[in-house]
Amino acid sequence: MPKLTAIFFCVALSLFSYKVKSQNIKVSYRHYSVSNENKTDATLDSMLKPYAENMYKVMNTVIGFSTKGLFKKLPESTLGNFFADCIKNVAEQQYEQKIDIGFINYGSIRKNIFKGDITIGNIYEVLPYDNFIVIQNIDGIMLKNILNHIAEIGGVPISGITMQIKNKQATNILINNLPFNENDNYTIATYDFIANGGNGFEMLKNIPIKNKSYLFREAVIDYIKQLSKQGRTIDWKIENRITFSN
Amino acid sequence: MQRRKFIKETTFAGGALLASSILPINNLYAYNLDKDFKEITILHTNDMHSRVEPFPQDGSKNAGLGGISARATLINNIRAEVEQVLLLDAGDIFQETPYFNLFKGEPEIKAMNLMGYDAATLGEHDFDAGIENLALQISKANFPFVICNYDFINTPMEGKTKPYTLIKKGNIKIGILGVGIEFKNLRTEELFGNTKYKNPIEQANITADKLKKENCDLIICLSHLGDKYNDDQLSDEILAKENFDIDLIIGGHTHRFFKEPRIYINRNKNNTIVNQVGWAGIQLGRLDYSISRTKKKTLTKKQTVVIKKKKEE
Repeated sequence: MPKLTAIFFCVALSLFSYKVKSQNIKVSYRHYSVSNENKTDATLDSMLKPYAENMYKVMNTVIGFSTKGLFKKLPESTLGNFFADCIKNVAEQQYEQKIDIGFINYGSIRKNIFKGDITIGNIYEVLPYDNFIVIQNIDGIMLKNILNHIAEIGGVPISGITMQIKNKQATNILINNLPFNENDNYTIATYDFIANGGNGFEMLKNIPIKNKSYLFREAVIDYIKQLSKQGRTIDWKIENRITFSN
Repeated sequence: MQRRKFIKETTFAGGALLASSILPINNLYAYNLDKDFKEITILHTNDMHSRVEPFPQDGSKNAGLGGISARATLINNIRAEVEQVLLLDAGDIFQETPYFNLFKGEPEIKAMNLMGYDAATLGEHDFDAGIENLALQISKANFPFVICNYDFINTPMEGKTKPYTLIKKGNIKIGILGVGIEFKNLRTEELFGNTKYKNPIEQANITADKLKKENCDLIICLSHLGDKYNDDQLSDEILAKENFDIDLIIGGHTHRFFKEPRIYINRNKNNTIVNQVGWAGIQLGRLDYSISRTKKKTLTKKQTVVIKKKKEE
């Protein structure tokens, strides 16, 4: 009997002490570099294979042809004009309404399009970021703020407008060949990123946004296909949309 | 934070330096017979961003790095060497390569299934093809997605995630919860549907408390908050200081390559460790935990953490 009591006591004690015992934790760490120097894994390779084949097939698909190539530059460039016209036209088709101005941020264009065949993979390289096309309705005063910001950052790819940059301010503004009027209202098409205040366009942050979740990259691919179908090559002009004035 | 000291195996605790925490290895073996000695190897990734292939060999900085195939080999080698392995991810599995645009995340999830992931949380980019797509893709996962501060009621994601999961490996019981970032100013809100964001610190504390009551040996939080910011934006650093019961935070979002895990004092005066391994599957993180309970009785639970770099074989 005393033995049993002793055991009982021990169990009770151990239960009690379990709760109050302190814990020692030893941690050793290592950060492995994962590289193609490691051996590959056959299971993972065979899982990925059909996706990879499909992906490369899509990426190598030729969708258009450029005779001269399209190049990016500020304040204006052939590639910039092409993309700005694309966002404006595509938004007009999609929202079935007139869009006054289309613009994107220069930093979203990562590479040039060289002369020759244009593949889907080329467009992914030029436009690696997922930006949605959105539209916003703004008043003339807001538009003036936007154009002044564009002047300050040395221009952006833009469509539907000509303007000059003087002392980092927008002057001689024509909207669709008509003089800019502060009392008019305008509809713009741009990226969700910009409409949410990105690239310094903070003034747009509180303006309601319409978004049909159409990626700009997809729009460009579809637009090139559309133009190719009409027998057109992908070549664009400099039109003095944005120039510096002295 | 005296990081230098901490590398030199300095012990951090609620003030107390326990002699037993720096026991030589052979004494630790004595504990092996004890049921109070527990071991687990935690492997982790974050911000994989659809990098299923290694970076192309184009002479750039990351050329040849990453890729699911090489990572699977590495994981299998570690599994062959240690018995109890936990494989975790801290979100942003999707987006950034054409694989995601074309296949919407399916190969990424299949790869994680094949590698044997135990749990993952969500990053804001996992919603990039919309909330319906996310719900569809994660239904293909054979591991749970944990997130305790996104309310998915009346969205396609309702019932697809859990605030936490309990995992038992050998004699060790692990509670894993997850927290997500405020997505409002990061991505177009339409992508998230009716998802409601709640304060991650409050929700993590409520959830970790439940896990503590489940008698977990280790409580791990998968976090997509980001390691730390210059302003007061909620981060892993803030969570590490403001929680009570979390032992380890596996972080992401900020794509930071930690040189070593960071160690903080939490509100229970215990240690919370934070670790993060960059992005794109360039690195695989490994933390080997040995937990032993001392014979010494104390009035309050005290925890001592010793951390050191693992020798490279």
